[in-house]
Amino acid sequence: MEATKAQQTRSMTMVQAVNDALRVALEQDETVLLLGEDIGRNGGVFRATDGLQAQFGEERVIDTPLSEAGIVGTAVGLAVSGSKPIVEIQFMGFVYPAYEQIMTHVSRIRMRSLSHYTVPMVIRAPYGAGIRAPEIHSDSMEALFTHMPGIKVVCPSTPTEAKGLLLAALRDPDPVLMMEPLRLYRGEKEDVALNHYETDIGKATKLSEGKDVTLLAWGAMVAVVKKAAAAVAEEGIACDVIDLRTLFPLDKDTIAESVQKTGRAVVVHEAHATGGLGNDLVSVINDTSFLSMRSPIERVTGFDVPVPIGSLEDHYIPSVSRVVEAIHKTVQF
Amino acid sequence: MIEVKLHDIGEGMTEGEILTFFVKVGDVVKMDQPLVEVQTDKVSAELSAPKAGIVKEILIEQGETVMVGTSILMIEEIRDKEELEQRQEKSTVKNYRSEAVRSQRRVLASPYTRKIARENQVNIEDVVGTGEKGRVIDQDVYAVLGFKKKPEQQSKKPSPELRSSSYFTGSKPSSVRTIPYEGRRKQIATKMTESVYTIPHVTHFEEANVTSLLEWRTACKEVGMPFSLGAYFIKALVITLKEHPLFNSVLDEKNGVIRIQDFYNIGLATNAPDGLIVPVLKQADRKSILTIDREMKELTRKAQDNELKGDDLRGGTFTVSNVGPLGSTGATPIINAPQTALLAIHKTKRRPIVTKDDQLAIGDVMTMSMSFDHRIADGAQAVAFTNRWVELLEEPKRLILELM
Repeated sequence: MEATKAQQTRSMTMVQAVNDALRVALEQDETVLLLGEDIGRNGGVFRATDGLQAQFGEERVIDTPLSEAGIVGTAVGLAVSGSKPIVEIQFMGFVYPAYEQIMTHVSRIRMRSLSHYTVPMVIRAPYGAGIRAPEIHSDSMEALFTHMPGIKVVCPSTPTEAKGLLLAALRDPDPVLMMEPLRLYRGEKEDVALNHYETDIGKATKLSEGKDVTLLAWGAMVAVVKKAAAAVAEEGIACDVIDLRTLFPLDKDTIAESVQKTGRAVVVHEAHATGGLGNDLVSVINDTSFLSMRSPIERVTGFDVPVPIGSLEDHYIPSVSRVVEAIHKTVQF
Repeated sequence: MIEVKLHDIGEGMTEGEILTFFVKVGDVVKMDQPLVEVQTDKVSAELSAPKAGIVKEILIEQGETVMVGTSILMIEEIRDKEELEQRQEKSTVKNYRSEAVRSQRRVLASPYTRKIARENQVNIEDVVGTGEKGRVIDQDVYAVLGFKKKPEQQSKKPSPELRSSSYFTGSKPSSVRTIPYEGRRKQIATKMTESVYTIPHVTHFEEANVTSLLEWRTACKEVGMPFSLGAYFIKALVITLKEHPLFNSVLDEKNGVIRIQDFYNIGLATNAPDGLIVPVLKQADRKSILTIDREMKELTRKAQDNELKGDDLRGGTFTVSNVGPLGSTGATPIINAPQTALLAIHKTKRRPIVTKDDQLAIGDVMTMSMSFDHRIADGAQAVAFTNRWVELLEEPKRLILELM
């Protein structure tokens, strides 16, 4: 019994967990299809679909032409006619040609058809800076999609979350965008369950309990925030660290409960500050927890410039020291 | 229907006398419009309308003294803005003070601090902030509340044995003239007891030869710039405090820190008709001797005329008790908690003195007593403090150098 239990997990990177989730999905449900550039023979630019075409055939793991609008548009047609397509966008920065499809069709067909049709598709898009990719490859454009009603946006920070969120996204009757942090693809490994499991969409998770400050982050920034929390813990500042996991819809209850306890909050994301999702979090706190606040909410974000190339990225991405500084500001206010 | 109650205006008052009603039954009032003037132990204050509405009932007679929490009048709320405006136009009764918009102090405080103030019925506008830029912090609200609770505990102090003794149950009180032990007298008592029980007091004595200072004062008078010695003492004191900031601090035991304050608000222990009261001369470090002199006189006058407002009494960081004009050559003053020290200034006498070259001369010698909180400072620091102050008093030129 113990032996079989041990076999039920395997140590995986995030990209391997994504691959495993796709394999489970393809095995369990014949209507699941994968579409994307170089995802077949090549196994995808990050090997997220490695070996899947060989296992499930060209009919289900489909290499597409270099046309994001075409891929997403095709997937919409498949989705409304009974398939469950999973689209891979090579880099989130390449999603812009497909933005029109997502905005005007993916997110709206349910409303336009008064729920006669839903669009049960998933778009996977690696995002974020930190791997020294060329220009456009490193954007964190979640705000473009959280601003768009009709589509859910999830973002894992661990291999386990990646698999769980992807399987949950697939079961969701509505379209889900899963942003996969590039920087974490081959970062830490984790024991991931081999069976089918789901991570609830719309639920944040608390990674540590602390009475002084609430730290809110997602994706690649969760690791930064955890390090900052560890650094200030030595000074006696205890942080509630919350990994949002779902960016739309936000888990307002978890945020409010934590902030009402601590009275202080630091929001961290690598996307640009202006119009960024952090501003929505500030609003959520304002709406739910104003009277509990002991200090203004701090935001640590990327700057309002395109993500710079090369080592300049390091100055763009929120660093542990910037987060620590923000925590100090809230505590010393 | 909204009850307007006498609430604690922030100085730990328990009762207040209703002086004047600004409104009558049937008057239409706006939110925050003053309704009634209340005389508390220390100050007179206005209660204002919590909501817009019509005064429906006045429950208390003018001149009556009521306890905190007593309902004073009832207002029927008007929610509809248009209706309110119409009613106001119709209202033939003139609102006595409708013109006088009450100047509301803008208070810096975080939402959380405001919440605890509201939950405890503390008007945050009446709380003096000790935080950065005068921000009201949680502790300031708790401090107000702390004083509110203390008197009840104090009143339980006398032990049962004492109470049953004949002294307290004295059979014939009529044979002795009684004076009421309440109001300001009781508040002074509470504060003094509190201070003396919690602070380990040490008092040391010192004297200063103020002959040159008196000469200088005369010289200034001749050129049309008269100042009182008290103003000079305060100016010298502020300079000394800046150099010995420990005596301008507050002990925060809960957080295990001594808070050194970077503002210098000097409390002036003043003998008023109703008893000792301590108005505060704010930001003495930023004022000239002449300004200090003028403001000091104004505060003293207000104290005599019972015109001090709550704000005049709050925010002191160090207290001076100038009993010189009354007499006395030494005392063991009680610290004005939560401050760290109190300096009493006594009579200046002409006295034989020994000069630097061992000659006998006549000088004007002033004595002083300095009480300090031995938890925060030690004797050596306190003596260094008075030494420096005496130096500035004995040689006015030194003070002038400091001011340049």
